Amino acid sequence: MAAESRVDVTGKPAAAPPTPADEPDGWRRLRPATPWAIGAIAVLAVIALQTQLYSGQVRTVSTVLMFIALAQSWNILGGFTGYASFGQVAFFGLGGYSTAVLMAKAGLSYWMALPLSAVIAAAFAAVIGLPLLRLRGHYFAIATLGVAEGLREIVINVPRLTGGGAGISIPVVGKHASTAYLGNDTFYIVFLVVAAATTVLVGVLSRSRLGYGLRAIRQDEAAAAAAGIDTTRAKVTALVLSAFCTGLVGSVYAFQQVTIYPERLFDVQITLLMVMMVVIGGSGTVLGPIIGATALQALSEYLRANFTEVHTFILGAIIIAAVIILPQGAVFFIRDAWRTRRLPLLDNVRTYRL
Amino acid sequence: MNAFLQSTVYGLLQGGLLALVAVGFSLVWGVMNVINLAHGAFVVVGAYVAWQLNEWLGLDPFIAMFGSMAFLFVTGYLVQRLLVNLVVNAPVFITLLLTFGLDLLLTNGLIMIYSGNYRAINTSYALKSLALGGVRVPVGRLLGCLLAVACSLLLVSLMKRTRTGLAIAATGMDRGAARLMGIRARHIYALTFGIAAALAGLAGAMLATVGTFSPADASKYTLFSFVIAVLGGLGNMYGALAGGLLLGLVESWAGQYLSGTLVNAVAFGLLVLVLVARPAGLLGRPFYESRLEV
Amino acid sequence: MNTPTTPALQIRNLSRRFGGLAALSDLSFTLAPGQILGVIGPNGAGKSTFINLVTGHLRPSTGQVLVHGADLTGKRPWRVAAAGVARTFQIVKPFRGMTARENVAISAMYGPTPRRSKRAALAVADEALERTGFTAAHTATPNELSVADARRLELAKALALRPRLLLLDEVMAGLRGKEIDRCLELVHRLREEGMTIVVVEHLMKAILSVSDQVLVLHQGRLLILGEPHAVLSDDRVIEAYLGQRYVQRKAR
Repeated sequence: MAAESRVDVTGKPAAAPPTPADEPDGWRRLRPATPWAIGAIAVLAVIALQTQLYSGQVRTVSTVLMFIALAQSWNILGGFTGYASFGQVAFFGLGGYSTAVLMAKAGLSYWMALPLSAVIAAAFAAVIGLPLLRLRGHYFAIATLGVAEGLREIVINVPRLTGGGAGISIPVVGKHASTAYLGNDTFYIVFLVVAAATTVLVGVLSRSRLGYGLRAIRQDEAAAAAAGIDTTRAKVTALVLSAFCTGLVGSVYAFQQVTIYPERLFDVQITLLMVMMVVIGGSGTVLGPIIGATALQALSEYLRANFTEVHTFILGAIIIAAVIILPQGAVFFIRDAWRTRRLPLLDNVRTYRL
Repeated sequence: MNAFLQSTVYGLLQGGLLALVAVGFSLVWGVMNVINLAHGAFVVVGAYVAWQLNEWLGLDPFIAMFGSMAFLFVTGYLVQRLLVNLVVNAPVFITLLLTFGLDLLLTNGLIMIYSGNYRAINTSYALKSLALGGVRVPVGRLLGCLLAVACSLLLVSLMKRTRTGLAIAATGMDRGAARLMGIRARHIYALTFGIAAALAGLAGAMLATVGTFSPADASKYTLFSFVIAVLGGLGNMYGALAGGLLLGLVESWAGQYLSGTLVNAVAFGLLVLVLVARPAGLLGRPFYESRLEV
Repeated sequence: MNTPTTPALQIRNLSRRFGGLAALSDLSFTLAPGQILGVIGPNGAGKSTFINLVTGHLRPSTGQVLVHGADLTGKRPWRVAAAGVARTFQIVKPFRGMTARENVAISAMYGPTPRRSKRAALAVADEALERTGFTAAHTATPNELSVADARRLELAKALALRPRLLLLDEVMAGLRGKEIDRCLELVHRLREEGMTIVVVEHLMKAILSVSDQVLVLHQGRLLILGEPHAVLSDDRVIEAYLGQRYVQRKAR
């Protein structure tokens, strides 16, 4: 990330203002430093928000932050290149289980286990990336799904290491605890940091050379290769970055949960939620995954609280409606609506229907 | 040796049913390039319809299965016509998400109506078994398997011999050209989806007769369909049959030597291996470009 | 062509089969640096297959591709691009959702002389677009472009790679008289700068006026290679490619 050094998060202008069309995403009209300033304010606002919340609400907002981080992670590969990983939860589960095993069996402190877990997830991605990223479209989606499901079954079947289906507990109290439990308030901050870090990564990526390369791959892989882009390396890099971030989130989640089970850590629904959040928000953008994750998670929580019995049912219906009405994502929808001064709700249906 | 023979027979019988589960899934994927994540939910809905008809009217499941088929054909036709057709030209993961929403809707709808408990349709004959030279052949599974194979073969011959079948195949190969030939693609797509759903419903009714079912099984059947469709090659009906039998055998054999759910790991390992090594499937060639040549 | 310098492009026994169909069989020829080679042939003659084989978008079944002496046989497209080979696509392949200059800047960012800073890449992009006579705003998106500008964008993407060997796959299709003339002018100027160029084209006028050598492909085989006018008066070519219309005109 050579570009990172140029970026000044405190809000000082980092570079000369580019011409409007330089910016591929929703920041089009803004000076380059403005989004970073807004981001910094948003982070401060979320910290301030914490003091106003009950403990249950702290956990709810932590979950929203977690999904922002997960959606951004998925965005790095799926959003930029269009390679839709439907097995992203494999890296989440791998990160979580690495942390649990490293802490429970090897007695590592959490602050050692956290980066190691992310590295393990990234290394796994590097290994599977080469063969899988030769597959396209649905084939890639299914192969990754197969990897995630297979990984879950393996975790279930090595109980000596992972506790199997009965789960594994991280020692958080007493003399076996390598790191004492952090508590809801600290996890809130940790999730915030992870969400902010992944967002910054996506922001930097979207302006970088690699970001342009990945977007070119999404539009036309043959033309991207002809333009000199080493598409294999670009795709594997994106997958590894994406897996690193996802593994990081999985690690935090595992420690927060204390006891983890394969059914939850490798739940295909987590993958689908990541995809959904990115698509609804606007794939390949910085803002989209934040909007998507916040909206979908808030909605899901609201439904769970008020329509406990039928909340998944309603969620299903909303997903169907959202996908039909907003297939290009909220960010692009709002941008087009702003540009044309009208709400083109059914235009998408006109574009994509048979 | 006897145990091996027994597990082979069992694997083939199970494989026939799995082939029926997957054949519709493969058809939809091959013709429309749509992966229907709600396919497993269709299977389970089929099981519930048959079960309900059995409860209300005392219908034998081999009669009630026609009810499952009819109900799911109409459901499938409408789903495609009113929902999936709206996003057919969108990027691939849009249809995946749409059918995921549908899967949530159906499985949770079933839980709301029937609860998540396991159920089964009980018949006097299904659990009896024939003894063939020391190998037990359960009657219900044998009937189900034969029916499944017959239906898959019938589908193949219908696809090859009838106008509608040819129209479906043509639309799958080149939608634009098919439309120029006067084929109503919207109707054909809906029809294809309806046929696939009806086959899923039939499979569900069979599965309900030979074992238990619950809404939670939906994702399992969707995943099986994936594996089989990939093994056999997309849109290749013989491939689905072969893939189903192969998966049944592998699961049954692996179940002899491997503990518990490691059998599933074998299935998924097989899936990934075949995808990487031979994305066109073991038998077929793909309708859609599966990977780059460069 | 026994020049002492290394040939810009050397093709040896190049073949490619698709199943039972031989799209290109046993093609061999040599192209000296700074030459313009016109490639003609009826549809399905193997013209695009030939380009795809050179640029690594297809792997040859047999044979060799050497560019400036370096063996590029079966190399991946970005390796070929890094060796100084650029191409256009017959069906234009813009990166939609990006502006025209961003499209071109990508070639400048990667390729043989990569510009890692975005601003430098955009400067190269603007220059490349200017050279092609791109008429729309450089910030226009591909969907807003006319056919001619879409072709020019495709050409600019190739030029931004600063290639030594340029393969043009029907860049002039869909252009009108004046636009074709400007394009031909550009091809000449590029050659004067030392670029070697392969022009695959349907337009007879374009090929005739621009090429040093013309290669005729027919059913995947080399029919004839030679000076433009010699090739065009060859009976085999008239029969295989130009057809009745030209024969009649000649008779008149």
